[in-house]
Amino acid sequence: MSVRFVLPAAERGYSFLPSVGPNASYVAGHPDGAITRHSSFNFGEYQSGIPGFGAMRVFGDEVFMPNGTGYNMHPHHNFIIMAFVLSGTLTHINTIGRIDELGRDDYYVFSAGSGGKHSELNIGEGDLGVIYVWVLPGRLLAPPSYRRARFDRSAGANRITCLVGDEPGALPIAQTFRVSRLVSDAERRYAYRPARPNGLYAFVVEGEVEIADALLTRRDSMAVEGEDQVTIDVRTGGTDVLLVETKL
Amino acid sequence: MKKYLCLGCGFSYDEARGLPEHGIAPGTRWADIPDDWVCPDCGTPKSRFEMVEIPYFEGEAAT
Ligand SMILES: [Fe+2]
Ligand SMILES: [Zn+2]
Repeated sequence: MSVRFVLPAAERGYSFLPSVGPNASYVAGHPDGAITRHSSFNFGEYQSGIPGFGAMRVFGDEVFMPNGTGYNMHPHHNFIIMAFVLSGTLTHINTIGRIDELGRDDYYVFSAGSGGKHSELNIGEGDLGVIYVWVLPGRLLAPPSYRRARFDRSAGANRITCLVGDEPGALPIAQTFRVSRLVSDAERRYAYRPARPNGLYAFVVEGEVEIADALLTRRDSMAVEGEDQVTIDVRTGGTDVLLVETKL
Repeated sequence: MKKYLCLGCGFSYDEARGLPEHGIAPGTRWADIPDDWVCPDCGTPKSRFEMVEIPYFEGEAAT
């Protein structure tokens, strides 16, 4: 096993983004509203960590407070931006012309391409938990696109389900990149087979897994490379893992 | 001629194209852009752009 890095949850970057002060126009919400962001990779003011992995530049574990907190309309180019809703409801508005509501297990792939803006809001009454992933595209300034889908919790139980990438049922992406989800209700061994020479990033949403002799608990993550098969030992029921395969 | 991508928003700078609408002539090298220059779309500093070797989408003028 070739381990690129192990990133304990507490060693990620942390940003607290209140809706007032310097962020007032960027962060939506009432004056007490705020977003918390744990970044696996360097992002924004957090620049002392890991720069990225393969084509992935952002893996943000974010919580939006309720009652209108979020990101106001702001521009992007090129990056392929994905959101995976863990809890609560995300209202997504983009300049492709979509206003979308995404609940638990819903996800989208927004390719900003030649230019697009989006707003991400929690207009619900409870917290919104969401994972954001940004990926470098295979081509610059492509036509923008937006697609959404839902992870089917019953069909996806106790197996590895491809959510984004080149597989039937998954949302396509113009990059050598896959996001899969492993939800296991018992201790069990799973195998992920990346296409050579891709790397694999594993992020534990909930539960406990062991990969390459590293024990990962809630919100810990790690990256491996140079493997034909990555063995994932789930150590407890209720385990939920996001698996990101990327070209290196 | 190289391309650079803003890690704050994805805005791309292409040395061959420059940014005439922002006062940077085509052919301007990245190194010749002032260090205090920021992304015109999101304000991210020049130091947080990444050099990329990604081709344009077909139909975009190749450089
Ligand atoms: Fe954004
Ligand atoms: Zn920018």
